[in-house]
Amino acid sequence: MIYSDRNASESKLSLAISYLLTAGVLTSLILMAVGILLFYFQFGNLAISEKKVMFLQEKNFFYFLYDLLKGGNSQEKSLWIMTLGIAVLILTPFARVILSVVYFFLEKDFKFSLITLWVLLILTLSLATH
Amino acid sequence: MVSLLLGSIPVGFLGALTGLGGASILIPILVSMGIPVKEAIACGMASIIATSSGSAVSYVRERIANVRVAMFLEMFTTVGAIAGATITTMISPLFLYFFFAAFLASSFLKSKGTVSESATSSEWPDGVSRWLNLQGSYFDEAHGKRIDYKVSHPLLGGGGMLLAGLAAGMLGIGAGAFKVTVQENILKLPPKVSSTTSNFIIGMTALAGTSVYLYSGFLNLTLMGPMAVGTTIGAFLGGRVLNKLGNRTLRVLFFLIVIFLIVQMIYKGVRSL
Repeated sequence: MIYSDRNASESKLSLAISYLLTAGVLTSLILMAVGILLFYFQFGNLAISEKKVMFLQEKNFFYFLYDLLKGGNSQEKSLWIMTLGIAVLILTPFARVILSVVYFFLEKDFKFSLITLWVLLILTLSLATH
Repeated sequence: MVSLLLGSIPVGFLGALTGLGGASILIPILVSMGIPVKEAIACGMASIIATSSGSAVSYVRERIANVRVAMFLEMFTTVGAIAGATITTMISPLFLYFFFAAFLASSFLKSKGTVSESATSSEWPDGVSRWLNLQGSYFDEAHGKRIDYKVSHPLLGGGGMLLAGLAAGMLGIGAGAFKVTVQENILKLPPKVSSTTSNFIIGMTALAGTSVYLYSGFLNLTLMGPMAVGTTIGAFLGGRVLNKLGNRTLRVLFFLIVIFLIVQMIYKGVRSL
């Protein structure tokens, strides 16, 4: 059976993806929740704010990430942690595509290496340009 | 923020139960509370990455979702989402109210047509589908057996997914109902495979949309943090009770919620004319 052979090897990929997604989403949600708590202790309120510092605006995600990890331009710790949570959230599906590209390449499935590479290319371009 | 976080939990819960997704429900509510529509859309899009990836975990592990079909279709949805999100950043908010209402209305099409539970598709896979080895199988607990299925018209399905991605990116939602319709009717995926695969794709589509909103300056931290945390908790709980509720209850709930949301968006749109 061709089907079951493929399924057997692909279950490794499925398992790896499910661990990756769990880890990414949990980390991100915890960071955001901690950020919200700290925000409360810092400002004494939890109102939704339309102030400019509350908005993320970056030219390039990778530059934004670099800046963020350096401790960068965010003065407030609570906002920094929330932003970190969002960065982890954005990186989660991104890492999933990278994982898939590597997997299909190692499996010598070149059609699917190309398909996943295309998705990776689109996402990278969209995150990196503008 | 606390009320938004706590309020997002039942919204995520209802979103998971009705298959609408948390963002489709939350965006009209936020808009009616006076949050600018583009901001609500951007934060909805980002929070979907969390809800979709979170709920995809168990389906992927149990191998109900077809990962290959998902990755094939992502080629189309990501392009659509980037285009859609770019359009949203450029057009007047006025259009968005009506597009949103119209898109919600289109979800009735899906709920009206009875989904055939026939698990095996008789369609013969076409060239592309065979070339990419898209066919699959999963273990159906309700039937207690393994079900093999084939995939038809992948390229046409890809076209449908481009549209789904466009709508998702424009409106900041998952467009799950639309994706499921395409997958069941064009690709002929069995219902369970279809809904779980669509969930898996939504995370990637949302990332593509979010990447546009990130540099357009509509992502509000105080809005999206609570939204993401709340809807994900809610969706997680919703997924747990989904199988325990009767279909009729779900239908009625779905109908009432969609009507309410459509009225909300049209009202907002007409008022800002």
